[in-house]
Amino acid sequence: MFDPFMLRVATLALGLATGMASAQTPEAKPAAPSATLAVAAAPAAPSLGLDERVQQAKSDVIKLNRDLLVLEEELLFPASTQVALFVSMDVGKLFELDSVQIKLDDKLVANHLYTPAEVQALHRGGVQRLYLGNLKSGSHEIVAFFTGGGPHARDYKRGATIKFDKGTGAGYVELRIKDSLGKLQPEFDVKVWQ
Amino acid sequence: MRLRFSLSSPALLIAVALAAPARAATDPDEVPRAKGMSTSIEAQSIKALHYGDTLFSFFQDKHFSAITGLMTSQHFNRLAPHGDEAEVLRGGLLLSYGVHDEAGQIFASLIEKGAAPSVRDRAWFYLAKIRYQRGFNDQAEAALARIEGRLPTALVEERGLLQAQLLMSRNDYAGAAKILSAMSSDPKKTSPFTRFNLGIALVKSGDMASGVSLLDEIGRAAADNEEQRSLRDRANLALGVAALQGQRADEARRLLERVRINSLHANKALLGFGWASAVQKQPAMALVSWNELAGRDASDPAVLEARIALPFAHAEMGAYGQSLKLYEQAVGEFDSENQRLEASIAAIRSGKLIEGLLERNPADEMGWFGNLRKLPEMPHAAHLSQVLAQHEFQEAFKNVRDLRFLENNLAQWRDTLGVFREMLEHRKAAYAARLQPTRDGAQAQAAALADLRQRRDRVATELGDAAIVADGVALADAKQRDLLVRVEGLQSALKKQSDNPEIAALAERIRLSAGVLAWELAEAYPARRWTAQKNMALIDRQLEQATQREAALAQAQRDEPARFERFAARIDSLARQLEITAPRVAALTREQQRAAEQVAEAALVNQKERLVAYTTQARFEIAQLMDRATVAKK
Repeated sequence: MFDPFMLRVATLALGLATGMASAQTPEAKPAAPSATLAVAAAPAAPSLGLDERVQQAKSDVIKLNRDLLVLEEELLFPASTQVALFVSMDVGKLFELDSVQIKLDDKLVANHLYTPAEVQALHRGGVQRLYLGNLKSGSHEIVAFFTGGGPHARDYKRGATIKFDKGTGAGYVELRIKDSLGKLQPEFDVKVWQ
Repeated sequence: MRLRFSLSSPALLIAVALAAPARAATDPDEVPRAKGMSTSIEAQSIKALHYGDTLFSFFQDKHFSAITGLMTSQHFNRLAPHGDEAEVLRGGLLLSYGVHDEAGQIFASLIEKGAAPSVRDRAWFYLAKIRYQRGFNDQAEAALARIEGRLPTALVEERGLLQAQLLMSRNDYAGAAKILSAMSSDPKKTSPFTRFNLGIALVKSGDMASGVSLLDEIGRAAADNEEQRSLRDRANLALGVAALQGQRADEARRLLERVRINSLHANKALLGFGWASAVQKQPAMALVSWNELAGRDASDPAVLEARIALPFAHAEMGAYGQSLKLYEQAVGEFDSENQRLEASIAAIRSGKLIEGLLERNPADEMGWFGNLRKLPEMPHAAHLSQVLAQHEFQEAFKNVRDLRFLENNLAQWRDTLGVFREMLEHRKAAYAARLQPTRDGAQAQAAALADLRQRRDRVATELGDAAIVADGVALADAKQRDLLVRVEGLQSALKKQSDNPEIAALAERIRLSAGVLAWELAEAYPARRWTAQKNMALIDRQLEQATQREAALAQAQRDEPARFERFAARIDSLARQLEITAPRVAALTREQQRAAEQVAEAALVNQKERLVAYTTQARFEIAQLMDRATVAKK
């Protein structure tokens, strides 16, 4: 004997699952007029939908942030006096970075403790801008101290020093942590970008 | 009563699992990633420090810092030679924020300008993805076809899955199976998602045996993490339900038993297991799973169904009294559940859902796309677990969270601009205070400089005259000048006594001395002339530098006020933009929040409607049982 009750019960339970799964795939929409590189846009509507307006607002705020950051940099760190110190890591298997301390002309300007996420970002090729400041033209000295774990899980602390001439343009200095495969020791050097 | 099932084909049943995204990250330990990005950037050698700085933020999922920093560096032209890579990254980040239109323009522009093949391939890939997300499948397929070389390793599989999804969307399951099969040549290197999708594609293409065999393999495989365990549960559920529909109840029970009791898919598995037992005329066995299921959260329709399946099983066992009691109990529970749903809907309307979710699931930056792990503190929050799992709600909530982040960001900039304005005023005041002393000093220096120029001109004239005479006298040193004076004095004295014979010898000595002196002066003249000319050139350079500094000082006095004005104008302009944008974002936040609440509310209204349907059915069954009892009494 056919039982409509049970039919309905099963439909509700299992049919729902189908609906939930399909909700995660975009609904098919008619294709836009073909233009090789045109990004498919929604059909023109009298007024933009919420999604489009949110997209526009996000885009506008990102651009506004860009303009504000440009203003900030030009106002606080003009190119003629700007100096930026960066930290990078090349391979870095022989050194587990814990912290970096930087003195510029014998004045402590940066003291940074690294999170695992930051160390991972350095390993993947990220370069950290650790300090941004102003410096007069002329001769200056940077001393950087790196602390962490060296080979054989030993505590490791090393320093790197460089004297450099700051010209009239922005000065960028990269502090690099490298592996010396010959010595099986980490190496720390400094590169001045002109 | 007889048992019947509503599903008409195994393929339809398996579709339950088919539509799932191939990369649904459910592992709570997995680092959250923005949709559409992050996998295409590999460890690389950086040739521009500021590009590396952007990647440093990006690799930590600080996507807002990454994109704003990147665009700032683009403004200052300091990303070369990573310019195109940076554009790919910017497009991907915008895509992850849901800013599809602008992201699409960036990728299209990269292709049009003829970027390097590797960049172009990634641009085509992302364009395909955008088009797919927007439902333009034909164009998405065309974009995928334009990829010429190899994508980064992380995107190769994603491309294959996208291509398979596109083929399946036009029912080309055999084509999708072919793609997925090629991707699965090495099971050790193939993701479980690819193999799962391959199983589904095979089944739907008609190769039932291969598809079921593969899904069965996935259903029995060891799983390393929650994501894989969930996928395994899904495969077993799909196979179990298919077996149930195929009237293979024993096989269905065996497959459904593999689904973990606390899995996301456990409720459906328990329900199916009960029905399989019922098919086998084992209502007592059905009661085991339905009893477990009926005690679970009633927001799941499977649970509601179990609550009326339970009395059905009792009736099957002939326990009509117990059945009647359970039906009446179910009606009461449905009524209570209905009231709880009303309370939840009221709480949603009052904003407690979104506020509670934001409070309990904070995010550092815009675009964070992790799971919503904690339910808000509100009455009957369990109702919301199903709502929160919905893609539509998650997208709406993500927008709310993004907009809130942007509201705070704009508020912080408003304060910062105030600080900039004060700083600028301070600089202007300091400049004005130093201006008069500087001008006074400049005037004094200008007078001194004019005097120096006159002196220089006099010296230059003397040198010119000396060059004409060329006897070296003009360049004599102090001792020689003294000697010249003494010789001239002696010669003058001798002239007065020229008739005195006693001094003839002395005159001869003086003549010789004068000759020696003239010789020395002539001999030293070339070197002294060269030194003098060199010194003149040095004087000229120094005078020129002093002149330039004087001009620079004068120019600075004209430029600096103009620079202050330009900064002030920019601050004012940006402040105006902030004043316009902030309320617009705030209004959108409210609108988006209401939209998210409406999605949640609609889901709860659906639950209410299901309750009504179940209540009606239960009442119908109660009436039937009462009739049966009346007839029996007669």
